[in-house]
Amino acid sequence: MSASNLVSARRLRTALLVAVAALLLAVWAFPVIWALLTSFKTERDVLAYPPTVIFEPTLSNYRDVMFGSASLLPNLLSSTIVAGVSTLLTLLFAVPAAYALARLDLPGKRASGFYVLATQMLPPVGLIIPYYLMLQKIGGLDTYGGLIAIYLTFSLPFAIWLMVSYFEDIPREMEEAALLDRAGRLRALWYVILPQVRGGIAVTTIFVFLNAWNEFLFAVVLGGNRVRPVTVAMFNFISVEQTLWAKLAAGAMLAMAPVILLGLLAQRHIVKGLTVGAVKGGGRT
Amino acid sequence: MSAGGAPGDVGRVSLRGIVKRHGTVTALHGVDLDIEPGEFFALLGPSGSGKTTTLRILAGLEPLSSGRVLLDGSDVTDREPGERDVAMVFQSYALYPHMTVYDNIAFPLRMVATPAADADRAVREAAALVHIDHLLARRPGQLSGGQQQRCALARAIVRKPRLFLLDEPLSNLDAKLRLETRVELRKLQRALGVTTVYVTHDQEEAMTIADRVAVFMEGRVAQVGRPQDIFAKPASAVVAGFIGSPPMNLFPAEVRAGALRVVGADLRLNRPLGADGLVTLGVRPAALRIAPTGIPARVYLIEDLGDTTIVDLDVGGQIVKLRTDQRPDVREGDNVHVAFAECHLFERDSGARRGE
Repeated sequence: MSASNLVSARRLRTALLVAVAALLLAVWAFPVIWALLTSFKTERDVLAYPPTVIFEPTLSNYRDVMFGSASLLPNLLSSTIVAGVSTLLTLLFAVPAAYALARLDLPGKRASGFYVLATQMLPPVGLIIPYYLMLQKIGGLDTYGGLIAIYLTFSLPFAIWLMVSYFEDIPREMEEAALLDRAGRLRALWYVILPQVRGGIAVTTIFVFLNAWNEFLFAVVLGGNRVRPVTVAMFNFISVEQTLWAKLAAGAMLAMAPVILLGLLAQRHIVKGLTVGAVKGGGRT
Repeated sequence: MSAGGAPGDVGRVSLRGIVKRHGTVTALHGVDLDIEPGEFFALLGPSGSGKTTTLRILAGLEPLSSGRVLLDGSDVTDREPGERDVAMVFQSYALYPHMTVYDNIAFPLRMVATPAADADRAVREAAALVHIDHLLARRPGQLSGGQQQRCALARAIVRKPRLFLLDEPLSNLDAKLRLETRVELRKLQRALGVTTVYVTHDQEEAMTIADRVAVFMEGRVAQVGRPQDIFAKPASAVVAGFIGSPPMNLFPAEVRAGALRVVGADLRLNRPLGADGLVTLGVRPAALRIAPTGIPARVYLIEDLGDTTIVDLDVGGQIVKLRTDQRPDVREGDNVHVAFAECHLFERDSGARRGE
C-alpha cells in the first residue's frame, strides 16, 4: 500500500469514527434538546403538528414551576436534602468500611463482597412492601429519616464495593511508610491514603448522589406530602385529563440542572477516577 | 524518644530468637543477631531466605511468633513502628505521590509537630545531602528513578533516627547508577554514623558496602561476619555456593587414606584433610587454573569479560567456572586438566566447614 493510500485510509477511519460519535451524540442529545425546546413553548405550541421548531419562546413555564401554585422549589429542596444527606452519610460510613475491607484480613471478606453485589441485583419492587410496613411500624413514612435510611440500604453496599477497589490499588507500603514516619493509623489514612483516592471518592459521590436524586419508586411510595422529591412532584403535571408537557419539560430542566452542574464540576475527577490503573502506579515506578 | 546522634552510643540492635510462622510455614527459625552502634550491617540471602521479614520485624511492620527485639537495650517487641525511632527506605521507595518532594521529606517532621523553621532547615539540609535540593517543588512522578531513590533517602535522613532500615534500595536502579549510588550510600552512612541495616540479595553489593554481613539461608542465619572473613572462610557449603562472583565451585569428593578423591583423580594436598569420609570440595574460580596434570576436564564455554576471562569447564558432567586475568590458550571442546592453589572442605552431610 502506498503512503497516500495509507493516509487516505486513516482519514476514512477518522471520518467514520466522527460520524458514529455524532450519531450517538445525536441519539443521546435529541430528547434533551427536545425537552429544552418544549420548556420554552406555550402548551399550544407543544401540541402543534407538525412540531414547530421556530416559535416565540416564553419563560412562563419556568415562572409557573418555580413561583406558581404548583411550585417545584420545595420539592427541589426536598430532593437536595434526601440526596445530599444520603450521599454524606454513605461516604461517611463507606470510606472507612471500604478501607478496612481492603486492608484487614477479615474472616468472611469474600462473602461480604458477594452480599454487596447481591443487594444490587435485587429488584427494588420486591422490597417496597416490606420497607413500607417497616417504616409504618416505626413511624418513618413520609419522613426524611425514613427515606434516607432506605436509600442507605442500597447506596452503602454499592459505595463500599466501589471504594474497596480504589483502596486496593494503593500499595500497602504507603501506610507502612507513613507508620514509620510516625503518623499512626488515622493520620496515615487522612494524609497519605485518602488524598490518593480522591478520584474514587468523587466518582462514588456522583454515583450515589445521582442515584438518590433520580430515585422515583421508593420516593413515591415511602414519601408523601412532607417528603416529596422533585421526581415525584413532576408527576403533578400529568393528570387523567391532560398532560402539561411544557411545564413538565421546564420541571425536568430544573431537576437536571444540579446534576449537570455536579457532573461538570467533578468531570476532571471522574475521568481520572475511571482511568485509574490505566497507567500503572500513577507516576510511581 | 532518642534524638539519635553521635555514633557509639545509640543504635544497638539485638534480635533474640526471632521465630516467624505464616500458618504452617515457618519463615524464620529463631534468628539471633547483634548489631553494633554505627555499623553498616547487611542482611544477605536469596529470595525467600527471611532477610526482608527480619527487617520488617525490626521495623515493627510484621508481627512475630516469638522472640524479642531490643533497641539500645530496651525491649521494643510490642512497640508500634512509629515509636521505635527507626526510618526505612522501601524497595519501591513508597513516596507519597500527591505531595511534592519537599512535603515528602517534611512529612516525618510534621507528624511530630516540629516547628516550621526547624523543619524547613532540616528538609533543605537532608535534600542537599543527597543532591536533590533543586527538585523540592516537583512531585515524585516527575523524578527519575535515581532521584526518587534519593528522595526516599532524604525522607529517612531528615529525622536523624537511631536506625536506618534499607530494603533493597538499589534494586530498581540501572546497573551503572547502582554502582555509583552504592559508593555514595556508604559515604553518607559513614558521615551520619547512624546504624544501618541493609537488605540485599546481591552478594557483591553486600560484600562491598557492609561492615558486617549476616548470610540468610532458608529462614536461618547461616553465618555472620566481616565480608572478607565470610569470603575467606565460609562456614558451610551453602554459604560458599552463594558468596563470590561467580560463586565457589563445589565438587562431591571423598577423603580416603590421606588423599582427596575427586572425579576419579586422587589428589595429595599440602593441607590437613581430616578424618576419612565423604566431603564437599570447594574451590574458588580464581583459585582454579589449567595445568598439565590434575582433574581431567573439557572446555565447555569461554566467557571473555575484557579484563578477566571465565572458562566454563565440564568436570565429570558438572559445569565448573574458572576465572583468570590472562586469557588461557584453550578452545571450546579441548580436553585439559585443572589444578587448584587453595581449597575448602565441607562435610558432605551437614555442610559444615572442616577445619584446616
